[in-house]
Amino acid sequence: MENKVFNAVNWNKPDNDYAQVFWEQNIKQFWIDTEYIPSKDMDSWKGLSYEMKSTYKKALGGLTLLDTLQSHTGMPKIIDHVDSLQNKAVLSYMCMMEAIHAKSYSTIFTTVASTNEINDVFGWVRENKYLQFKARTIDSYYRGVDKPDATDEDLFMALGASVLLESFLFYSGFFLPLWLCGQGQMVASADIIKKIVADESIHGIFVGLIAQDVYKTLDNKEEMKQKFLSVLDELYQNEMKYTEEIYTEVGLTAEVKEYVRYNGNKALMNMGFEPIFEVKQVNPIVLNGLNTETTQHDFFSKKSTNYEKALEIVHLKDEDFKMDMAVEV
Amino acid sequence: MIANDVAKSWILLNNEIMVKQDDEFSLHKDKEAVRAYFLEYVNKNTVFFYTLKEKIDYLIENDYYINFYEWYTFEEMEEVYNYIYAKKFRFQSFMSAFKFFQSYALRDDSGKNFLERYEDRVVAVALFLARGKGPKKAIEYAETFINQEYQPATPTFLNAGKKRSGELVSCFLDEVGDNLNGIGYAVDSAMKLSSIGGGVAFNISKIRARGEAIKGVDGRAGGVLPIMKIMEDTFSYANQLGQRPGAGAVYLNIFHADIEEFLDCKKINVDEKIRIKSLSIGIIIPDKFMELAEKDEVCYLIYPHTVMTEYGKYLDEMDMDEMYAELITNPNIKKKKVNARHLLVRIAQTQKESGYPYIFFKENANRVHPLREVGSVKFSNLCTEIMQVSEVSDINIYGQEDTIRYGISCNLGSLNIATVMDNKRVKEAVKSAMHALTVVSDVTDINMVPSIAKANRELHSVGLGAMNLHGYLAKNFVMYESFEALDFANTFFMMVNYYSLETSMEIAKERNETFKGFDKSEYANGRYFDMYLERDYLPQSDKVKEMFEGIHIPSIEDWQNLKEKVQEHGVYHAYRMAIAPNQSTSYIMNSTASVMPIVDAIEVREYGDSTTYYPMPYLTNDNLFYFKSAYDMDQKKVLKMISVIQRHIDQGVSTILHTDSKNTTRDLAKYYIYAHKLGLKSLYYTRTRKSSIDECVSCSA
Repeated sequence: MENKVFNAVNWNKPDNDYAQVFWEQNIKQFWIDTEYIPSKDMDSWKGLSYEMKSTYKKALGGLTLLDTLQSHTGMPKIIDHVDSLQNKAVLSYMCMMEAIHAKSYSTIFTTVASTNEINDVFGWVRENKYLQFKARTIDSYYRGVDKPDATDEDLFMALGASVLLESFLFYSGFFLPLWLCGQGQMVASADIIKKIVADESIHGIFVGLIAQDVYKTLDNKEEMKQKFLSVLDELYQNEMKYTEEIYTEVGLTAEVKEYVRYNGNKALMNMGFEPIFEVKQVNPIVLNGLNTETTQHDFFSKKSTNYEKALEIVHLKDEDFKMDMAVEV
Repeated sequence: MIANDVAKSWILLNNEIMVKQDDEFSLHKDKEAVRAYFLEYVNKNTVFFYTLKEKIDYLIENDYYINFYEWYTFEEMEEVYNYIYAKKFRFQSFMSAFKFFQSYALRDDSGKNFLERYEDRVVAVALFLARGKGPKKAIEYAETFINQEYQPATPTFLNAGKKRSGELVSCFLDEVGDNLNGIGYAVDSAMKLSSIGGGVAFNISKIRARGEAIKGVDGRAGGVLPIMKIMEDTFSYANQLGQRPGAGAVYLNIFHADIEEFLDCKKINVDEKIRIKSLSIGIIIPDKFMELAEKDEVCYLIYPHTVMTEYGKYLDEMDMDEMYAELITNPNIKKKKVNARHLLVRIAQTQKESGYPYIFFKENANRVHPLREVGSVKFSNLCTEIMQVSEVSDINIYGQEDTIRYGISCNLGSLNIATVMDNKRVKEAVKSAMHALTVVSDVTDINMVPSIAKANRELHSVGLGAMNLHGYLAKNFVMYESFEALDFANTFFMMVNYYSLETSMEIAKERNETFKGFDKSEYANGRYFDMYLERDYLPQSDKVKEMFEGIHIPSIEDWQNLKEKVQEHGVYHAYRMAIAPNQSTSYIMNSTASVMPIVDAIEVREYGDSTTYYPMPYLTNDNLFYFKSAYDMDQKKVLKMISVIQRHIDQGVSTILHTDSKNTTRDLAKYYIYAHKLGLKSLYYTRTRKSSIDECVSCSA
């Protein structure tokens, strides 16, 4: 047996200048699906047209597939090949969140749709060729590192695929819940979606930073960049068709396509590359809906998405009780 | 196309405010959104009547309005309508119009068509309030509404004049007794009050703690959590015809042995059986606790039933300054040790994660309580601004007489600071407001909950508040955190106090009736007036003097006169003022909410049903500077402002802390300490601004 030496993760010594920050941000953002109350959307759901419901279910079905892939294959494979133990830790936390994401779409489904409808959606996921193409393409790059002699090039492509999934492919699905929420529909379910968007956003940035680290060490940078761009292009073409298929009935195709391009550019920026898509005006309702800064809400009628876990407990000292109590008037 | 059925142009326009052109917000889009909303939606969905007569008769005959003909002739009503329509009211922002039509305007029974415009609602409320007193009185009320000087709270503004409507009062509080009858009464009240649209708060501090004795057998009691769980389900079941979810709060004394469990119920990852999602929670903090924290002395949580058994009194009703030492040395009292500072930090942690709990500083509220000889204030309400005497009722089994004591009932309304100042009508608006609030108290009789009905019948409590403080200051180029702002608030709220007290005295004189217990009050013995006779509250800075130009400000002499009149005639209302957080109503009034600083120059508002962008009143791309966000302010300066306002308010001020993710638990706990020392009576939510992902990456780079 080979005499392999095992290292323990040492958080006392930073591996790089970002792992710690992302670890903390991730933990702050922790949430679980059952904190939210999608049952408040029952009336809204009943009021949606048949076509809108169908699109909504497909959008969520597609998202479920991507999060499943990410938590079961993407993250575990990448963790295996990333060197930094701290990065591995952050990735495994993200992996756990991806599983929560994949489950939380079901929380929405389960609440608003019947068992038959839910089964139909999962059947549709299995049969939709564009969705399967997305999954197959990304999965092939994840599997690319699944061998003893995986190269840095293989790892770069796996990381790139992960960024494409997190920062690019999700958004055709996110569009609808965000858009409906802006119109006052399915608002409680959108709370869950917004939490997922906030998570995916840091996941994409983090994996992008690791990818950039790997990219720096490559000898054939230009070749790999082109390879990455061609995967992006392939997925972009597929994404356009996917968008047409699910959004045409409800008449949102053009806006979703614009949004997909907007996020394509974001994925490129996460990889440290220049944007390539021309984007004119993204629907402001959806863009505003993405703003994860604090919003005002009425505590009695909905749950806020603003609160986060308190990471650090700082205790009081004697001097905290000595204050200048002067009031000038 | 399907999307077009859902998509609304006014929502898109409203969202486009946020699109920056040359680094400036597209504020003009908001006006376009209002226009589109009216042209494409409101006007198309409003029922048209050929004449006013036709409209009024239709509304009365079809059971939409009460029969106003009992009080007015058609010509009298016409006079009021004409006067109000001639004012040419226009909504100043999309949010105002949207909120009004979404939530307040009367609709036909299909729910699709509007039967009222803003003017119609204003007139209906005014006709209702003026009752038999004629069109002149109705015009007087209607004028303060259409000028947007005074806004009754939602239940009154929404329901007044409608035949099929909820109650006009929305705020109720009661105590829960420590036995099944008492708990049953509370749950029953919760259901009934919730079904009529009330927000209800209960003091559960008298309930025995988990593990205490039942019928002398130790270890049997379930503590406060199971009761909270029942309350939570009760409130969510009994909503107002599905229109809005029931809302409730429970308060627990910090010395209660269940306090740690109580705080944990809001944690994210807690067992579903004890997790409280929608019930609001508040803690009652006596001075003694803050003293233990300051001196860093050992603090004991106490099992309330052992106190009851030993002393025959509720722990919650004891003066802890007096009794604490005795309780902790008495071996018959069961207790457990905690660190008071750690408990404060624990509260801070819970607030960071959930915004809760509210905090009620018990002695701060009671030290200046005008009815201190009548009884004590034990807890507060769902919005932490109501502070009145209460006492637990003794509920018996069927066939035996109950002893009903005071619950709390309060109806609210708010002045719009900017318009009353600009119109130089502080006195008139306060008087009109007090009369309007009094009518609501007079006509209300919640007889299905006798403790609530008794309090209203005998105490006639009302709560006049104020909104648009930040808006008014910014409009006058005064920073919220400045000396001038404190100077303004100090004079303004003194005036509100003066005129509301004067009005209450006049009503008592006119009716020859005071609230019950007046003789024992600080008004009767004159101590209430000491602070106003010791010094004047005139503006000190030139800027504020200028703002009050042309407005008479009551002097020491005026206060002296008022004191004599009050002692002679009494006052009608046991409680007169309370500053509510007022959200929906501040939108309709195109105001900044309450006396709090704004959260953003363009507020993003999430309701259960929509997201709307709301540019602050009077905001332009040039005066943005004065619209500083509460999140960017020194919270101590905000608390100081509240302490200045609080001086003049007999009840409380709903006070929100604004923090960001970087604030530590220690920072928060320091705000509690500061608020307590300043004499604040309560703290409402803590709101948190998240550090955004951009920030997170930028500090990593």
